[in-house]
Amino acid sequence: MPEDVLLNHYLLVGAMLFAIGLVGFLSRRNMIVMFLSAEMMLQAVAVNLVAFGRYHNDWGGQILTIFVIAVAACEAAIALALVMVLFRRSGSLDITFWQQIREEGVPPYVDQAVPESTLAPPSWPHLIPAGIEPPQPVLDQPDNDRPNQPRERTHV
Amino acid sequence: MALFAAAEWFSKGTSLLMARPYLIGMILAGISMYLMLPPGSNRRRTAGSIIGILSLGFFCAKLGAGKLDVLAVFWILASVTLVSAAATVTSRNPVYCALWFGMTLLGTAGLFLFSGAQFLAVATIVVYAGAILVTFLFVLMLATPTGASVPDRLSWEPMLSAATGAVLVGVLTMTLGGLLLQTPATQADREQVMLANEHMAQIGGELFGRHLVSVEIGATLLMVALVGATAIVAHSKEHVPSKGS
Repeated sequence: MPEDVLLNHYLLVGAMLFAIGLVGFLSRRNMIVMFLSAEMMLQAVAVNLVAFGRYHNDWGGQILTIFVIAVAACEAAIALALVMVLFRRSGSLDITFWQQIREEGVPPYVDQAVPESTLAPPSWPHLIPAGIEPPQPVLDQPDNDRPNQPRERTHV
Repeated sequence: MALFAAAEWFSKGTSLLMARPYLIGMILAGISMYLMLPPGSNRRRTAGSIIGILSLGFFCAKLGAGKLDVLAVFWILASVTLVSAAATVTSRNPVYCALWFGMTLLGTAGLFLFSGAQFLAVATIVVYAGAILVTFLFVLMLATPTGASVPDRLSWEPMLSAATGAVLVGVLTMTLGGLLLQTPATQADREQVMLANEHMAQIGGELFGRHLVSVEIGATLLMVALVGATAIVAHSKEHVPSKGS
């Protein structure tokens, strides 16, 4: 198999991962999901680096990927700290809350026609009670010192 | 199989579209991403995913064929990665997004392992999926807004962002297949250097030999990031507005 065939396939996968991350970053409004897309873009770059390292038989691709992972970890720490601060101030993870830092002359983004939530409410299964009822503790008189604890059986 | 049949069919064409199947793939990929982004109903998402897989076939048509078993294993790993990536970006529940991203990381770790980068495969799982993703889930746990979560049911400018992503993939695919005539390494060379037995020893030697300064700077960067993240969160003032906003 000619050597550049596998390289081309690797580069295509890297390009598609990068584009998917780009689409996610540009279009999602949840800050966490935006940041996940940014991390996906970094991972696409890592795939490209490893592919080129393999193609040229050079360690540099893998070494640079190690540094990319380290920098991604730093970036994740700081970005999540910032997301926590923004959440405390605004009460939501929505990035349109902070629209006032947009360019001049661009109209604000206003929600129109918010669709209803299509996630079904959690339905818990109905379990038939089964088994032997465990022996209940005997409560002779309420104990004022320990009002919520069952008293021990001192008599059989 | 269908991909290689398409490759044969496309390699015989000379008109604009036939010689460049990634143009069709580009349009289809844009349509599929637009359909899948929120607010997508389940039917739109299914249609979008089918169109997405079709567009992937168009992109691969001109990449050249090689040994089928090698490429089959590669595409199993790559399709896991790409499907999880698309699901990450288009899920409506942010916790699902994080979990799909974990699957994407597993896919890329598999791709690294396929290239012989054993340390990187395990490092991706341990550091990225094990630490960074868990941090994301912690922040999601701590930062859940009460009430309806509007930001997850809408996306802003889905058409423009899908078009941007599609154009980017099209442009990047244009350059594939035309690599400059360098002399790539042969598999025999690779067996000597990269795929040799002591992988960890060789990576360690390279890292702490040629790239020692970068390692030290990277370690300092990590410490600075740790201190900075703690400082940012510790000094923030709490100010949650009333629930009517």
